[in-house]
Amino acid sequence: MIQPFLELSYISKAFPTPKGPFVALKDVALKIRKGEFVALLGHSGCGKSTLLNIVAGLSQASAGGVILEGKETDQPGPDRMVVFQNYALLPWLTAYENVFLAVRSTMPGAPESERRSVAERYLALVGLAAKADKRPGEISGGQKQRVSIARALATRPKVLLLDEPFGALDALTREEMQEEVLKIWEADRTTVLMVTHEIDEAILMADRIVMMTNGPAATIGEVFEVPFARPRSRAEILEDPAYYTLRNRILAFLYDRFGEPVLAD
Amino acid sequence: MAFLEVQNAGKTFTARDGSLYEALKNVNLQIQQGEFVSIIGHSGCGKSTLLNLIAGLGLVTAGRVVVDGVAVSGPGPDRMVAFQNHSLLPWLTVRQNIALAVKAVHKQLDETARGRIVEEHLEMVNLRAAADKKPGQISGGMRQRVGIARALATRPKVLLLDEPFGALDALTRGRLQEQLLKIWEAHRLTVVMVTHDVEEALLLSDRIVMMSNGPAANVAEVMSVELPRPRTRMEVINNPHYYRQRNELLYFLNKAKKAAQGGPAKARPAATERCDLERTALAVGFVPLSDCAPLVIAQEKGFFARHGLQVTLSREPSWKAILEGLVEERLDAAQIVAPMAFAGMLGGAGVPLVASLDLTRNGNAVTLHRRYWDQGVRDREGFARLIKAGGEERRPVLGVVHRSSMHNLLLRDWLAGVGIDPERDVDLVVIPPPQMVANLQAGNIDGYCTGEPWNARAVHEGLGFVPATSLDLWSGHLEKVLGVREAWAAAHPKTHLALVGALIEACRYAADPAHREEVIRLVCAKQYVNADPAYAAMGLSGTYDRGFGAPERLEDFNRFDGWSANPTERLWILTQLARWGMVAFPTRWRTAVERVWRDEPAREACAQLGLAVPPEPVYRPLTLPGGDILDPDDPTGFIERFAIRQSDRTLNAV
Amino acid sequence: MTTTNKTVIAPARDEAAGSTPQLKALLERSGTVVLPLVAVAVFLGLWQALSAAGLTGTLPGPLQVVQDVQPLIVGFFNNSENDVGVAWQLAASLQRVAIGYSLAAVVGVAVGILMGSMRPFQLALDPIFQVLRTIPPLAWLPIALAALSQANPSAIFVIFITAVWPIIINTAVGVRSTPQDYRNVASVLKLSKPTYFFEILLPSAASYIFTGLRIAVGLAWLAIVAAEMLTGGVGIGFFIWDSYNSSRMADIILAVLCVGVVGFVLDRTIYYAGRLLVASE
Repeated sequence: MIQPFLELSYISKAFPTPKGPFVALKDVALKIRKGEFVALLGHSGCGKSTLLNIVAGLSQASAGGVILEGKETDQPGPDRMVVFQNYALLPWLTAYENVFLAVRSTMPGAPESERRSVAERYLALVGLAAKADKRPGEISGGQKQRVSIARALATRPKVLLLDEPFGALDALTREEMQEEVLKIWEADRTTVLMVTHEIDEAILMADRIVMMTNGPAATIGEVFEVPFARPRSRAEILEDPAYYTLRNRILAFLYDRFGEPVLAD
Repeated sequence: MAFLEVQNAGKTFTARDGSLYEALKNVNLQIQQGEFVSIIGHSGCGKSTLLNLIAGLGLVTAGRVVVDGVAVSGPGPDRMVAFQNHSLLPWLTVRQNIALAVKAVHKQLDETARGRIVEEHLEMVNLRAAADKKPGQISGGMRQRVGIARALATRPKVLLLDEPFGALDALTRGRLQEQLLKIWEAHRLTVVMVTHDVEEALLLSDRIVMMSNGPAANVAEVMSVELPRPRTRMEVINNPHYYRQRNELLYFLNKAKKAAQGGPAKARPAATERCDLERTALAVGFVPLSDCAPLVIAQEKGFFARHGLQVTLSREPSWKAILEGLVEERLDAAQIVAPMAFAGMLGGAGVPLVASLDLTRNGNAVTLHRRYWDQGVRDREGFARLIKAGGEERRPVLGVVHRSSMHNLLLRDWLAGVGIDPERDVDLVVIPPPQMVANLQAGNIDGYCTGEPWNARAVHEGLGFVPATSLDLWSGHLEKVLGVREAWAAAHPKTHLALVGALIEACRYAADPAHREEVIRLVCAKQYVNADPAYAAMGLSGTYDRGFGAPERLEDFNRFDGWSANPTERLWILTQLARWGMVAFPTRWRTAVERVWRDEPAREACAQLGLAVPPEPVYRPLTLPGGDILDPDDPTGFIERFAIRQSDRTLNAV
Repeated sequence: MTTTNKTVIAPARDEAAGSTPQLKALLERSGTVVLPLVAVAVFLGLWQALSAAGLTGTLPGPLQVVQDVQPLIVGFFNNSENDVGVAWQLAASLQRVAIGYSLAAVVGVAVGILMGSMRPFQLALDPIFQVLRTIPPLAWLPIALAALSQANPSAIFVIFITAVWPIIINTAVGVRSTPQDYRNVASVLKLSKPTYFFEILLPSAASYIFTGLRIAVGLAWLAIVAAEMLTGGVGIGFFIWDSYNSSRMADIILAVLCVGVVGFVLDRTIYYAGRLLVASE
């Protein structure tokens, strides 16, 4: 078999607590092909963000590990760029400077002019060339998200990690951003691992949807292939009978199998 | 008078600088006691403002709100609001928070009676265990439950919920929705809920009020949720109505969003007006089905352009959307299912339409679930035997694409022909074509009648078989026509003529067997039907696989040729609409049919194009597949001869 | 309710009977100017009345004060040997503050960053600093005089020791509370140490640092007046003490007013400098 591009090899994660270790993740195993878009879907608190942080190297697995292109990796690095949930833009830098900071640190040897043109190109790619000199406080949530994506892409990562990238946006902006990110992704096909709890977001964007069971000791419950041809559009997916079947299977997983109301909380 | 009435209510706000903003205008809404009504709309449509008017937290500036016979003049405990941010007092425990509200409202009760009410509601939301904790010590979901318990404990006449679960994560939201559903189903309170979550609205509500965009927002549409109670989430999503209604709501919100972003959602290019046409840039709607070929050909082969038209083809998700598009003047013209031409008589929006060209014939088929095949069903007789024998768990559920579609009329006639009463022996549900296969696969429906590629897809995936195609139902039946608004036709006679001329040429092109491959290729393209030619070609190619083993030659499955040999077929549609109680049969039916079906544009266009001019319509007796004869001199007699039909009442109504 | 509160639009029923919304708006805006003036007038009136009734001891009434301070105002910028104007008194005090405060800022920010970014420093120094910072400024003066044996450096030392604590503590807190998000960005990008320091740590802590600087400048100005009363020489603190000894009550009142105004200006200066330099999210 061909070596997977990115492999999560039986990752477990336990946090120490005064009452003994709390096992957040247990034996999460997943192989991701190069250029694949994988969505991690699950209820909040199921440890999907923890898993993403482990892949990013921001957090260490208690057991198991992350293998990227055959090499185990446990430190953060620009080959696995993260688009953070709340953008994590530096508010004192302009949109351009935020992107440029990333370019500067990932292209240390390159001449200044080349770095500048890379930063400008990616800012233009997300349609924000006109807002280059604005600070994060002066632009909308959707625009901040675009800067954050431009910053991530500008470092030309091997894997792009999206942590609930549209969670902080209102419903309308969210749909627009999903379509836009999808368009960008369909153009350059970076390998993507995205954490989300929105079913329709996962169906629209991903090649495979990895369902996480509820914590503690969350793991992969089921993996759904998303059968729609690319490029995709929301309207076309609604026309495909497979959409309804897939969606109901996901809902059944979330609410029937792992969503039994815990009445006493 | 309804329990809660909003009568012509308006709300105008005054800004600091003295300017006025009219948020709501002429809002009318009747809510019955014990009803659960949701309000959805684009953000800023004033849905929370409306809720505030009912709560009395804001007062109407026009019209009035009446609850249980009393006009609302301020807030009161009979209309409790559970706020989005649950507004609990942080220094009191859960029990004390509820007790405070109970004490304030039920002053006449003694201490023990009040205590009982508090405990009862703690129990209701399953918070006994957390009763002595302070709000800061419990989760957001629990706080929201306390908020609801507090609201319920005051025994309000109306419970008002403003995005009650908006701030919670999906799982907690889902659980609380189900809990609220249970509480509501046990107590049947009158509830008005503002939400932006379409699925939440469908799960919980009896009716969903869709608000138009502000300023001067009002009620755009009210949907009755067709899901039986008691409901559970998994049952609801497997109900055949669910995704149709969900998509209708999403479609509405999406339309509102587009309208908010930049004027009305008109897909109309700017064009230099050719001087002899009233208008050259047109938006024409179609539903992506194989028989949309005439429109596709007219566009791709330049027939529209040759007639001086610049057409934008607008791909619509359902026949309902097509009809709305015409009524709302978003579309200038559309390919419509033939009976829809009588929309002006059918109630609802009631805008009169005109059918000015017969575009296609045949093209439909009935698909039944594979299960019936295994039980030996091959045709309608076998289906009827199975139904008569009983032993089925439930009545078979069959999907049709729209109430006023040929599919509905043909399927009903086909069933009734073997003694299956479509009103009593089966359940007919309206489902947009793309959702048919998924519903069949999930077992939500047992069969359907629709166009291609949806029968082909079911056969291809081994989900069902086709006991009858159009050729069995009524070979050569009228199917799709060109529909425009009557007023539009009157205002744009030359444009109308150009449109008809272009489509006549397109139909001739599509009907030529030499162009078959090209037609298939164009129709399957992404912007049109967007389907794998493997099944989309079925029918168009002249080959048809009914799932009986080997594909058959069905040359006439899709027909794009030919004029009405006998205009009595239009009358047939009217008789069937009356037979099933959808219209009252008009005594002066000829006037009604001729107001809708116009032959002059096609005759004139043919003369201009140098083609054979279709003959003047002459109504002659029409022999139907079963051998029945529709005599244009006695249509009511024809209707009355049917053993299976809706009540007689409709026959003599007009 | 939440949604309506977000808008700046007030419900129509809020219109008071008879008054148009425009008039209301005008009243609201002019209130911010008129009402404080009214308050001052009432205060002065009360003071004058009490003084006329002979209830204020040797303190003159406002009218008397205005009369008495005429020469001082005329000689505001005088700079002869035995008649140094109030302006120069203030300048002398400001100079001491400037030196002491600048020293405090440099040392405070440096120590603060050290404490914020390295836990051992935090553990070692924090308890000591928590004790030291509660010592009143003037308590340091004898120690300073003993150690430095000169009045001027001692006064500067008092300024320094007063101002340095809030700067250290706020800087340390600011550095420690650099959002995890930004640290994550830095580690994913593998930013070099200097880049991290200048591009992320310092800007992120800037708002805390400026809060510390602002508190410090207020304390420094408080301390200098007190210190100068004890050390003597030129300076506004000594001027006030000297005036008291010579029973020039009106002079004291003028000087106190000046101290207030200067303190206010210093505070605002740091505030606006902070606003200018710290990006708001």
